[in-house]
Amino acid sequence: MKAPGGRSKGVDQTISAPASDAPSSADLAFEELYRSSRDDVYAYVTGMLRDRSAAEEVTAAAFEKAFRKRRRFDAGRGSARAWLFGIARNAAIDELRRHKRRAELTAEPADTTVAAPHTIAEHSTRRATVAAGLAQLAPRERELVAMKFFAGLSNAEIAAVLGISESNAGTTLHRVITKLREACT
Amino acid sequence: MNRDELTIEELGDELRALREAPSEEFAAKLDAHAAEGFPRRPGPEGSIASLPGHVAERLRGSGVRRRLLPALAGATTVIVVATAVVVSVGSDGDSATPTNLSGTSDAGDAAETAGAGQAGSAGGEAEALAPDESRVANGAEGGSAALEGGPTALPAPSQMTVPPPVPGPGPGTAPGAHNRQVERSAELTLGTDPERVQDVAAKTIDVVGRYRGIVLSSSTRDGAEGAAGANFELLIPSARLSPALADLSEIADVRSRNENTLDITAPFISARERLRDARAEAEGLLRQLAEADTVAERNSVKGQLEIVRGRIAAFRAQVQRLERRADFSRVSLQIVSGEATVFPGPSDDEWSIGDALHDAGRVLAVAAGIALVAAAVMLPLGLLAGAGWAGRRVYLRRAREQTLSA
Repeated sequence: MKAPGGRSKGVDQTISAPASDAPSSADLAFEELYRSSRDDVYAYVTGMLRDRSAAEEVTAAAFEKAFRKRRRFDAGRGSARAWLFGIARNAAIDELRRHKRRAELTAEPADTTVAAPHTIAEHSTRRATVAAGLAQLAPRERELVAMKFFAGLSNAEIAAVLGISESNAGTTLHRVITKLREACT
Repeated sequence: MNRDELTIEELGDELRALREAPSEEFAAKLDAHAAEGFPRRPGPEGSIASLPGHVAERLRGSGVRRRLLPALAGATTVIVVATAVVVSVGSDGDSATPTNLSGTSDAGDAAETAGAGQAGSAGGEAEALAPDESRVANGAEGGSAALEGGPTALPAPSQMTVPPPVPGPGPGTAPGAHNRQVERSAELTLGTDPERVQDVAAKTIDVVGRYRGIVLSSSTRDGAEGAAGANFELLIPSARLSPALADLSEIADVRSRNENTLDITAPFISARERLRDARAEAEGLLRQLAEADTVAERNSVKGQLEIVRGRIAAFRAQVQRLERRADFSRVSLQIVSGEATVFPGPSDDEWSIGDALHDAGRVLAVAAGIALVAAAVMLPLGLLAGAGWAGRRVYLRRAREQTLSA
């Protein structure tokens, strides 16, 4: 039987892979987001919780949750980084709530290994003072500092995570920095 | 340190220096977990378990919970819908019971008396009972017949629905009740095995013959369970209807039995009076004819007489029809096989476009009914779930804000 015209000659097999094996654009985007944000998320969560063990737990949970929701991410509603930090923020606050409940029930002492003055003191007295001032901030204020200086979020990203305007985020952040400076004097 | 010693830039630098970096061990495990696509494996060999213990415990717990929730929601939905369907079907069956089964009760007898009394007391001016009224009387007629007829093969008492008592007419409200003309009819459904349908049909013919009844029409069909069956349209002398029904009921299992009565005294008397008047008129005309002197006069009377005789014939036929309706009771007898409640009737064994349309309509109607029931159940549940979900979100948001404010 004559081969129909136009068919490639000498091809006796094809190599194909199932479409499902190919990473989707959402997978690729998430991989990039993970690589660029892993340390930032951990730093932010640690700044919020001041507990490395809990921070590891919350960071892993936040990434896993974000991974499961990656296809539901809507770029029109903000950047992927803001979306990821929103998830991490909720997970961190939930951990704070649980920690608070546990503390109320068992009077468990807080983990002060992070940012504790005596561990920082060897680096510099000034840094220890800043750490002490940071520890005195309210959780909401400390969260802003963690977003800005630990996670490196822009004011616009902070505003998106917190659901406030960018100018409001900048004003609040300035107020917190001023307060921290005063605490360090 | 005073304020001048720490600028904002310096403060920012110090804060950045305080930033914590993940340990190499944690970073490596998280990377591995991410490389695997954050799999949710609850087993101890899973990558979740390879994370630090507290992390694995948290992830495992949340995963199990998330997997169980949709399953539980699905199971609940199925149970609710199934229950609704069963309840719906069950209630349909219950609602059919009173119309199919006639109870034996004194109250029913009283209802018959009431219906008859109302018609009888009308003195022949009232027309036949309205359908609803006749049905009220019907339900009772079975009871009356059963009381008169001795042995009956009515369904067990637990299967029967006793109609509500109807107030009696009181003494003296049904004068001349023995002269009433009552048309009676009955529907009887017998159930049997498919192979016994012919036998039951033959016994039916025997009973009809024994009571000098008439088989108006009959159709029988062999076949599988549900398809096999028979239909009979019978006329049974009304005076012997009760024993005949009792005998018919003994042939096979009684699936349903319904007896109806319709008081036709009023139209009967009316027709008879019209007949009597017409006869009197004819007699008068005959006398006029005998006394007529001229041919023209005679021809005129003859013409009138012809008309009156035509009316007499019509009235006589009407009276005879009413008498036949009173003398013979129509019995519709169905023989069904298996669990069927209705004999589908003689089949042409061909599935036509019309049948297909009918079946399609039925399927659509049933599907629409089920969808309606499901919607009726699911809508409130969905609203509740939505309200719960929204409430939980609001609660969580407030709780988180409170945590940060504390």
